[in-house]
Amino acid sequence: MNKIRTVIIDDETPAREILKHYLKDYPEIEIIAECADGFSGLKTISFMKPGLVFLDIQMPRLTGFEMIEVMTEKPVIIFTTAYDQFAIKAFEMNAVDYLLKPFPKERLGNALVKAIDKLGRTKESEIATPGELMEKLPKPSSPISRVVVRKGNAINLITVDQIKYIEAQDDYVMIYHNSGKALKQQSMKYYEENLPPKDFVRIHRTHIVKVSEINRIEPYGKDNHVAILKSGERLPVSRSGYKQLKDELNF
Amino acid sequence: MKHPVLENRVRLTVWGIIWLVIAAGQTISFYYAYGQFLNVSIIDAFVSIILYSGLALSLWFPFNYFSSGKKRIYSVVLNLAATGAITILIWILLSNLLLHQVLAGENDYQAYWDATLPYRIGSGIFIYSLTILSYFLFVSLNNLSEKKSREARLETLVKETELRMLRSQINPHFLFNSLNSISSLTVTNPDKAREMVIKLSDFMRYALARKDEQPVSLRSELENLRLYLDIEKVRFGDRLVIEEQIDPSCLEVKIPGMLLQPLYENAVKHGVYESTEQVKVCTTATVSDGMLSIVICNNFDPEAAPRKGTGTGIMNVSRRLELSYGNKATLTSEKKGNVFTVALYMPA
Repeated sequence: MNKIRTVIIDDETPAREILKHYLKDYPEIEIIAECADGFSGLKTISFMKPGLVFLDIQMPRLTGFEMIEVMTEKPVIIFTTAYDQFAIKAFEMNAVDYLLKPFPKERLGNALVKAIDKLGRTKESEIATPGELMEKLPKPSSPISRVVVRKGNAINLITVDQIKYIEAQDDYVMIYHNSGKALKQQSMKYYEENLPPKDFVRIHRTHIVKVSEINRIEPYGKDNHVAILKSGERLPVSRSGYKQLKDELNF
Repeated sequence: MKHPVLENRVRLTVWGIIWLVIAAGQTISFYYAYGQFLNVSIIDAFVSIILYSGLALSLWFPFNYFSSGKKRIYSVVLNLAATGAITILIWILLSNLLLHQVLAGENDYQAYWDATLPYRIGSGIFIYSLTILSYFLFVSLNNLSEKKSREARLETLVKETELRMLRSQINPHFLFNSLNSISSLTVTNPDKAREMVIKLSDFMRYALARKDEQPVSLRSELENLRLYLDIEKVRFGDRLVIEEQIDPSCLEVKIPGMLLQPLYENAVKHGVYESTEQVKVCTTATVSDGMLSIVICNNFDPEAAPRKGTGTGIMNVSRRLELSYGNKATLTSEKKGNVFTVALYMPA
């Protein structure tokens, strides 16, 4: 039987040490890499294509959740986290297991049994894809402050204040920001709900715009409007979008 | 509600004196108006007025019953008027009975009684109104002072609760991650694991033990923060560097306990958690002109997009300063380049 190629991603050395120590007793696990932050973790995953990843959630530069958002590979993921009620809730419904730090060796054993079972039994297509996983991700408790996107092999963080507007494109959204645009597999609803509601308004089924980017609003057709941005773009405004804008801007 | 007169000796004495004055008043007026013998007027007045004073004392109970709670004003007035009529009737009948017994020897007493009866009724109504009025006054004043003291109690309660809320709570992330580090160290370095357990225990004791708002010395606050930073250092290793410049003269200055904790937690959270590079947390404390100055700064990774700068840590500290020192203390913070600085000034 092939060994399971495993990567450990955690920014705290002691946390990686104990996991490595526990895993010594599982000969079927082969640790091929350790990473101390999200960026190097992503790079390692796409480069080494591990079967199993132990992933911490709170890490510098890129969180474990954000990594999943832009991950194109499909390793089985076991989350390790110290304290995250939302995560616990989210992953109870998910095939992916989670370990609450500090965890006993037996608990790790259970998680490994699940992971090995999954890797051996199922075809790759049956493992939860990052997209499916993302659906189950816990909702942030406060508005998001940054969006992580992938452009080729590069990972970019776009802060919310750089975003100008967001356009729906089938299953994707196109995020227009100060230095270009980025495509991401996510729903408009996600952004409508999680961008700071004071700064962003969904003006149309297909568009969410940052209020401060709007230069003026002009009537268009019978009872539609069009918003003209400071940078010149013209975005459609639906009737309900116009109403929301009116509420937000008090005109 | 307790009886306003019977529960208090001073009030009972004053009450007695007032009735003696009323009795004297009745003696004099009846004697000059209808007078035959002074002794008849004196006995007549004192017997009937002492009788009335007893009745007036017991009037408190119907008064309290009719006027307390939420009742319509006209029903209160009506009830009190009826009570008044009954009281005066009882008074007249009882004094008639008693006085005829006491003054049985006096010849013309019946004539004296008959002549003074209308005035007795008049004074009865007058005294009844006075009694009710004084009870009413007592109740309103009492309510007012009770309301005031309740408000004062409520205010201190709110303040205490707020202070308790503001005192920083231990971040669960910190606690569980530290426990995980200890779990790991038991394998790789048992001595260090024991050391960390002791440090964590000391830190938790300091953070949890004090339920009150007793101020602590800057020395013990800083010692505790060193424990906190030492524990974080085990987790993050070289990523966290600690520097201190503490003027020895300010070590005994008293400050609210755990005041600085949220600021260090912020420095670690926004500095160390978010950076892959080394982060230095430095503290300077000086005292001059009766003011204590504490400056805490940390560098951070400017590349790292801000996660959630809710600012509750700094807001809490500044509110605590306000509650403890009024406007004599200030907190300022600034971000310059890749260094974040918080400065506190408070009376030493």
